[in-house]
Amino acid sequence: MSRFAARRLVAGVFLLFVVSFVSFVLLSIPTLDVARQLLGQSASQEAVDAKNAELGLDQPVLARYARWLGDALTGDLGTSWFTSEDVLTAIGHRLPVTLSLMLGVTLVTALLAFLLGVWAGVRRGPVDRFVQVLGVVGYALPGFLVTLVIVLVFAVQLRWFPAIGYIPLTTSVPGWLSTVTLPILSLSVAAVAGVSQQVRGSVIDVLRQDYVRTLRARGLPPRRVLFRHVLRNASAPALTVLGMQFVGLLGGAVLVEQIFGLPGIGSMTVTYTTRGDTPIIMGLVMTTVVCVVVINLVVDMLVGWLNPKARAA
Amino acid sequence: MRIRRFPTAGSACVVAAALVLAGCAGAGGGTAGQSDPTLDIATMTFPQSLDPVTAVGGALPFFQATYDTLLKREPDGAYRPMLATEWTWDAGRTNLSLTLRGDVRFDDGTPFDGTAVKANLERFKASSGANAKWLSGLEQVEVVDATHVVLHLDAPDPAYLHYLSDAAGLIANPAAFADAEKLKTTPDGTGPYELDASQTTVGTKWVYRRAEGYWGERLPFDGVTMTVFDNETAIVNGLKTGQIDTAVVQDANQQAALEGATGLTTTPINFDYQGILLFDRAGVVTPELADVKVRQALNHAIDRKTMLEQIRRGKGVVTSQIFGTNSLGYDEALDSHYAHDPEKAKRLLAEAGHADGFELKMPRMTSIVTEAIASSLKSDLADVGITLTWVDVDQGDALRRVFQNREFSGFVMNLGQQASDWLVIKDLVLPGTFNLFGYTDETVRALVPEIQTSSTEDARDDLRALNRNLVENAWFVPFYRMTYALVTDSGVTATPQSGMAVPSLYNYRPAA
Repeated sequence: MSRFAARRLVAGVFLLFVVSFVSFVLLSIPTLDVARQLLGQSASQEAVDAKNAELGLDQPVLARYARWLGDALTGDLGTSWFTSEDVLTAIGHRLPVTLSLMLGVTLVTALLAFLLGVWAGVRRGPVDRFVQVLGVVGYALPGFLVTLVIVLVFAVQLRWFPAIGYIPLTTSVPGWLSTVTLPILSLSVAAVAGVSQQVRGSVIDVLRQDYVRTLRARGLPPRRVLFRHVLRNASAPALTVLGMQFVGLLGGAVLVEQIFGLPGIGSMTVTYTTRGDTPIIMGLVMTTVVCVVVINLVVDMLVGWLNPKARAA
Repeated sequence: MRIRRFPTAGSACVVAAALVLAGCAGAGGGTAGQSDPTLDIATMTFPQSLDPVTAVGGALPFFQATYDTLLKREPDGAYRPMLATEWTWDAGRTNLSLTLRGDVRFDDGTPFDGTAVKANLERFKASSGANAKWLSGLEQVEVVDATHVVLHLDAPDPAYLHYLSDAAGLIANPAAFADAEKLKTTPDGTGPYELDASQTTVGTKWVYRRAEGYWGERLPFDGVTMTVFDNETAIVNGLKTGQIDTAVVQDANQQAALEGATGLTTTPINFDYQGILLFDRAGVVTPELADVKVRQALNHAIDRKTMLEQIRRGKGVVTSQIFGTNSLGYDEALDSHYAHDPEKAKRLLAEAGHADGFELKMPRMTSIVTEAIASSLKSDLADVGITLTWVDVDQGDALRRVFQNREFSGFVMNLGQQASDWLVIKDLVLPGTFNLFGYTDETVRALVPEIQTSSTEDARDDLRALNRNLVENAWFVPFYRMTYALVTDSGVTATPQSGMAVPSLYNYRPAA
């Protein structure tokens, strides 16, 4: 298992280099006149040229990448062109917000989706149809609509939760819970719908396997068959989907972050990308790649633990 | 069985949690209205840095918290003493003498004096800040003594008091200039507040605490928090739930969402206007535009009233002029100078020899030119025979292609209506960025020098004559001034600031 993890980590480092280079080259295509955005529309061309020189944009792209990489390897990702904030500090302030959502949604999804999926897969009949309808409805409802309804009902009308803002976990645990509950609820609707169907399908597939019939014929209690054999085998594909959803939330939480005014990296990505703030975007790309590598590694190791055959592969 | 029991147990947990959290949410609400209130401002504009050389209009309150300006600009645009107590022009209006306060010090004990003023103005002029061009005509700052300086200009500039009450007048501690990087995130001024770095997240939330021992007028809030949002939905929800004390809401639909909300007061702000900045009056790119009748036809072709109703729910005022209501050049009659009259537009085109119309290419930046605006303009112009071709461009691309490459004859933009008449002239009438083909006419050539060398009040008639000339000769195609909503909760009052989209920080008061 450790060799497997080490291989994945080396591949992850290689991926970091490749993605950083490709991203930097793509960002160097001059589609956004950063200097004029910074200086305003009425800035003179001389001022724009001076700002470009100040930002290093008058240098060849490879020279700029080499400089960025050199600084990055020493832990210096630069400062934002638009807010002058240190990139690592800026991301460090916002990452916990998005991670809070990702972890919360993953926990809620894992719990509810497994309960619903197993319930539907084992009971079948009306229960199964009910869960399937829930799944279709939850998946079909537009995310922005779900979010808007949730914020209007629970925050604006009932005032049970704050409508906007984020309180760090380190400041106040109840405060943190109050600010992430509705966003997590909003994001969980589609996630639970999707993963529960995956669990349901996997459970039904495993229940049809010969070895399950054999276990039952040997007189093992149904609960033991379900929890020790069926769920263990049915969990692997669901876990993979859950992992993919977790990664997807890095960018997929944008809408929810915007509506709830949460200073996370989803909304940050949109804001800074549309401006062309290269130092921040590169920092976000690196953060995302690291998260993806780590999450995939964790998921692969969990799947390998659940199903040793997968580890060998 | 376990599964069937879950919803009941879960419901109990959710309700319990909700009750606990409801208490938390309530406790975290706005504190305005208490004896030492704080002010929570929501905005969509944030400063590029906290170095005063980067200050621009919409972000000015971020700087006003920690920096004082040489002059204070009141909500109605009048100038009052701040760090400078007196100011006088010489007869030629090229030398501005300032008398400075002698009792102000920066936090480290450095005195505020003539040397500090000189250092700040020269640094501002030399910077790459968006407004550095304001001081391009500043030849020298003469320090007479600690409390007197004279600003020597290469030519009269009637907007100078505006500059000194705005970004160019923000005074930082010269001792901080040695570490310019630090100054970007750590302000060092003599202002009424200090930045609370421990509570501030640059790019998201700036928290200010009252500066003890502040020399000037004590502002009524012990603290100010400015939170940046990237959409107005969140701001509106925050206003409705009392988490935000005040904000300026621009979007007409969001303004409508606030109608009927209890405890909120709305004050209209008319600052930005929308219209076609017509650069090509000499017909360099589109030869037809060289004829004033063609430009007038464009103005008559646009159905401003319908556009305003359909695009902004009527939240605005149709206009044919670029001078704002707070400027001396403003003439109310000119708002309705160009009525929607397609027949007259066709007649004018025919008289100009373009009865069959012509093609007008304009860049379309979707953040400004929405689908509704694009189709409305295309349809209005098509009705009189003008084929409007939109060229899709993103923001950066548009700026480069319009201002650098000069590919287009006009550009639909949202522009602020400056309170200073000279800034309107400087930005839009004189050759420069927004008059990129350098077009002028006899009347402009005659009036501008008169306006430039007169005191503001003496220039009133000339300004109105200039404005009328610009409108009658169809220099621009303005559509309407957009009405924004300055929203405050029951604990706060706010007064709009002349020539700004947002109030100055000094314009907020706790409600009585």
